[in-house]
Amino acid sequence: MPILDTKDVTKQFGGLVAVNQVSMTVNKNEIVGIIGPNGAGKTSFINALTGIYKPSGGQIFFQGKDITGFPAYKIAKQGIARTFQNLRVFSNISVLENVLIGAHCRIDNPFHHIFLRPLRSKKIERQAYAKVIALLKNVGLEEKKESLAKNLSYGEQRTLEICRALASDPELLILDEPCAGMNSAEMDTLADFVKKLRDEGQTIVVIEHNMCFIMAVSDRIIVMTEGAKFREGTPAEIRNDLEVQKVYLGEQEVE
Amino acid sequence: MMMGSGKRKWLLLGGLTICLLLVPMLVTDIYILSILNMMIIYSILCLGLNLILGFTGLLSLGHAAFYGIGAYTTAILMTRYNFGFGSAFFASAVLALLVGIIIAIPTRKVRGDYFCLITLAFGEIFRLVATAWIEFTRGAMGIVRIPMPKIFGIPIATETDFYYLGLGILIFTYLTIKAITDTRYGRAFIAIREDELAADTMGINTAIYKIMAFSIGCLFAGMAGSFLAVYQTVVTPSNFRLEESCLMIIMVIVGGMGRNLLAPLAGVVVMTVATEVFRSVADYRMLIIGLIMILVLLLRPQGIFGSSSFKS
Amino acid sequence: MLGEVILVGVMVGAVYALVTVGYSMVYGILKLMNFAHGDVYIFGTLVCLTLLTKYNLHPVLAILIAAIVGGGLASLVELLVYRRLRAEQHRLISMITALGAAYVIQNITELNWGNQVMFFPSIVKSKFINFWGLQISVTHIITLFVAVLCIAVLILFMRYSRYGKAIDCVSQDMDAASLMGIPINRIVSSVYFMGGLLGVIGGVLYSSSYNAVSLGMGFRGTLVAFTAAVIGGIGSLGGALLGGMILGLSENLIGVYISSSYRDPLMYSLLIIMLLVKPTGILGSSDQAKV
Ligand SMILES: Nc1ncnc2c1ncn2[C@@H]1O[C@H](COP(=O)(O)OP(=O)(O)OP(=O)(O)O)[C@@H](O)[C@H]1O
Ligand SMILES: [Mg+2]
Repeated sequence: MPILDTKDVTKQFGGLVAVNQVSMTVNKNEIVGIIGPNGAGKTSFINALTGIYKPSGGQIFFQGKDITGFPAYKIAKQGIARTFQNLRVFSNISVLENVLIGAHCRIDNPFHHIFLRPLRSKKIERQAYAKVIALLKNVGLEEKKESLAKNLSYGEQRTLEICRALASDPELLILDEPCAGMNSAEMDTLADFVKKLRDEGQTIVVIEHNMCFIMAVSDRIIVMTEGAKFREGTPAEIRNDLEVQKVYLGEQEVE
Repeated sequence: MMMGSGKRKWLLLGGLTICLLLVPMLVTDIYILSILNMMIIYSILCLGLNLILGFTGLLSLGHAAFYGIGAYTTAILMTRYNFGFGSAFFASAVLALLVGIIIAIPTRKVRGDYFCLITLAFGEIFRLVATAWIEFTRGAMGIVRIPMPKIFGIPIATETDFYYLGLGILIFTYLTIKAITDTRYGRAFIAIREDELAADTMGINTAIYKIMAFSIGCLFAGMAGSFLAVYQTVVTPSNFRLEESCLMIIMVIVGGMGRNLLAPLAGVVVMTVATEVFRSVADYRMLIIGLIMILVLLLRPQGIFGSSSFKS
Repeated sequence: MLGEVILVGVMVGAVYALVTVGYSMVYGILKLMNFAHGDVYIFGTLVCLTLLTKYNLHPVLAILIAAIVGGGLASLVELLVYRRLRAEQHRLISMITALGAAYVIQNITELNWGNQVMFFPSIVKSKFINFWGLQISVTHIITLFVAVLCIAVLILFMRYSRYGKAIDCVSQDMDAASLMGIPINRIVSSVYFMGGLLGVIGGVLYSSSYNAVSLGMGFRGTLVAFTAAVIGGIGSLGGALLGGMILGLSENLIGVYISSSYRDPLMYSLLIIMLLVKPTGILGSSDQAKV
């Protein structure tokens, strides 16, 4: 059974149909790439999936459960984590706290325990701390755990955002243009990291304009134009598809 | 910041507490003790407000109203219904908490500047009703002759007694807020301040957390109000003007908002001392407060001792 | 009786509209709650009072000078307090500095004029005329007339002058306007100026028709402007007029038929309810923020 299954998801803004009846599936342990020209509705589709926009139509099933119209925080609890196209790290607090906040919904510490079972509460917090430190080590940000997020380089902030999303042990990780603003060395590191995550069992959806990156990491690619799904196939199929090339004609990302 | 170097911090705090406990043995001047007592009241208020403003980023211009709710509850219960201080104190805190929840629920989704206006309007409504509803609150005359409180049969009579009582409430406030903010709850509040939408996608039910931060902050304002009532033995609506809310905000900002809970207290000390020093020019009080509000935000928005400011 | 109450309500409404327009225009451009608005126009109103009583100036001249003083003060506050915070900072920061500015102006006003209610002379001889059986004060009619005239001039100015169009541009998209070569600072300054100017005219009209003015009317005036702007739809000119009218009318009806000491609490409740139920106001529309 696919982990994510959308049926005719639609999102309208007034007269503008930003997402038009998109149906797709994501299977466990697979990387699905989404590409498409600017304004194709990729981000809007992801926003509808993660509860930031309420879908105007269609249905979304996650692990067999209908999550259509759930608020964002509930969807996060179900196990979908994401990053944002325009970086949204918590800039005035430390890297460590950023990632701890990412782990929020996996820290089982009810409010009354703070006062009634303080020792248990402290223990749970310490466990979360240890887990987050391990995660930071894994992405190479451990050295900088005390620095404010806004003082990191752009690439590091992107990494931090992914790290924050991973802290919630997501079943599905969605990355919206993770390479934007990265140099090519950082991009290669990221590609390796994403593949390593997949090998460890993570399921990932990634939106990206950079063709090298998307071709390198994806198991399957979905092409969107004007809000609708236009093509779906393996990287090789998409690369050789003349129609897809036509859609991209005039776009600078043409290979 | 939150886990490391904990021991030294607690040592420092312990030392500070002992010093504070010893103060009345060294200071016998009633005037200075009374200033210290006012500082204690503002410290309790500002610790609560810091939770609302510094952690969660909600600019409440109605904090004085919750302070007033606490004060009037204690005043009315003790003068008319023969409540003891303990039960009146408890009732004041709970009522402030409940009203806090009632205000926070409908406002959980409104934008920051509208929230600010709503709390301002609520604060003004409270003060105007306290002035107009003469049968219940005795209007502008206020409620007078609030009886002397007793704790376990010990009467609290002198400035020194009130100092210890207030210090007890302050320490309780500090420890409670510290305990809450050192867990995922405190981090969730900060996440809301930094970026509400991102906080939402981290699985934080931002509505609930905003209600929580706001009403807990109000709870402590209620306690401060209750203490004020027995300390002053009089409460009048003019104790709870918008000016007071502004003063608290500026204390929190001058000291520094957020994680460092001692910073707002430093702000309390600085602002109280400043207003006392300028007492001889009482005519210029608002001018001075206003100028400090402007200058601090223009020149050092993170406050004197703080590190984090509003997101920019 | 009801007829007179409504008529006075319309008059007060027109004055409120005048006061609100200036505030709402500022909001439209900077999205800033200008807490100093009311205190600025009370300052101007008191300047006018001094000019009238101490220097026996002709009312028209006195109002003109006072209005210019009010406008100048508003621009000055913008220049000193708001401008530096405009670009980068969080919106709440400028709100707090705005409150600070309000307090500074209040204190200066208090030092000069005290905080008592003062007698404000009628600008025209008050006389009652009988109109279809209604006892109508000439002062009220003239007040209404002047307020409507000012608003009409403002509307024409915003619609047809180049300056008005530039203001519209800036409030739609400040960055784009700046790229198009519109001098943002000058536009913002002049919007503050107009806001202060119209506010003072409103303040003088209000004070002279009630023969009273006091420091306390300043902050109350700010809240009147907030409430009226929010009711109508904040940032829009038509909204300010509609909101001012509704507020003026309902306030008078409440004052007469319920109780004047609950007039302000009810106004604040109305503000809260509007902000909760329809924060975009009667004439406003909402849109979803992009992510
Ligand atoms: N909140 C919104 N309100 C109105 N229109 C919106 C909103 N969000 C997105 N849109 C519109 O929906 C369309 C799709 O936008 P979207 O951001 O999803 O595209 P995208 O594929 O992510 O593009 P890009 O590659 O530039 O990120 C665009 O025309 C955009 O203007
Ligand atoms: Mg996008």
